[in-house]
Amino acid sequence: MSVPQSLLSTLVSATEEVFDTMLALPLQARPPVTGPLETPANVVATVAFAGHRRGLVVVYSSLTAARQITSSMLGIPVHEVNGEVPDAMGEIANMVAGTFRNRLAAVEPSSDISVPTVTIGTDFSTLYSSAVFRSRCPFDMQGEPLSVELILTGDQVGGLK
Amino acid sequence: MRFLVVDDSSTMRRIIINTLNKLGYTECREAGNGREGLDALTANPVDIVITDWNMPEMSGVEFARAVRANDATKAVPILMVTTNAAEGDIVEALKAGVSNYVVKPFTPATIKEKIEAVLKA
Repeated sequence: MSVPQSLLSTLVSATEEVFDTMLALPLQARPPVTGPLETPANVVATVAFAGHRRGLVVVYSSLTAARQITSSMLGIPVHEVNGEVPDAMGEIANMVAGTFRNRLAAVEPSSDISVPTVTIGTDFSTLYSSAVFRSRCPFDMQGEPLSVELILTGDQVGGLK
Repeated sequence: MRFLVVDDSSTMRRIIINTLNKLGYTECREAGNGREGLDALTANPVDIVITDWNMPEMSGVEFARAVRANDATKAVPILMVTTNAAEGDIVEALKAGVSNYVVKPFTPATIKEKIEAVLKA
């Protein structure tokens, strides 16, 4: 079950705004997809939201991309990034989910967002036991793949009016 | 100009301090939540506080109320930097004593404009 296009367009523009404003890292959006990642992610940052809508915003990246993002956020060379990746990727997920939530709140009742959680590792996957609507928005970030997934559950899974 | 940056995210503290440094403000201290922020502010006064909203121990709104309730700190301008942008959130923050509000993501120009606004007020 995929997510309505109007919500995905909002998520893509929210993601692009965060990367343009805070990182000066241009993203090239590719068409939204459903199904598993083509390349397994090493870094997964998740923020939940609840209220008018319920679900998750999930940012997937390689460790290389996460280190580039952290470097740009902190203004330090990539080779000096050391231990800051979880906090930086959590902040990225927080800003993407927050901007997405704020844009929805301009046209419908609001939702609250959670604190971010970040998983870093190899050879893991994330499964959802209940029925959910989910679609992923892939981006190219200077040659590195990055994805932002929207997962919806509950009654409010329709597009924007 | 002395700044205190209060945020539980070390990344966001660093981003804000880097931004302040670029704007020419180099005297910046930091705290990881509202409780630590109160302690820091009581020990060493500053000219402007920049705080997040969602933090453990003591939120930014609780922190603002506590700052305004203390005679020694009640006049310090408070700039809140957060992803909470709903009208109700902004009203709640202003009622708690926040002087001005920046929604993330932000540019250095926005931070500069808001600092100038709270200093003029």
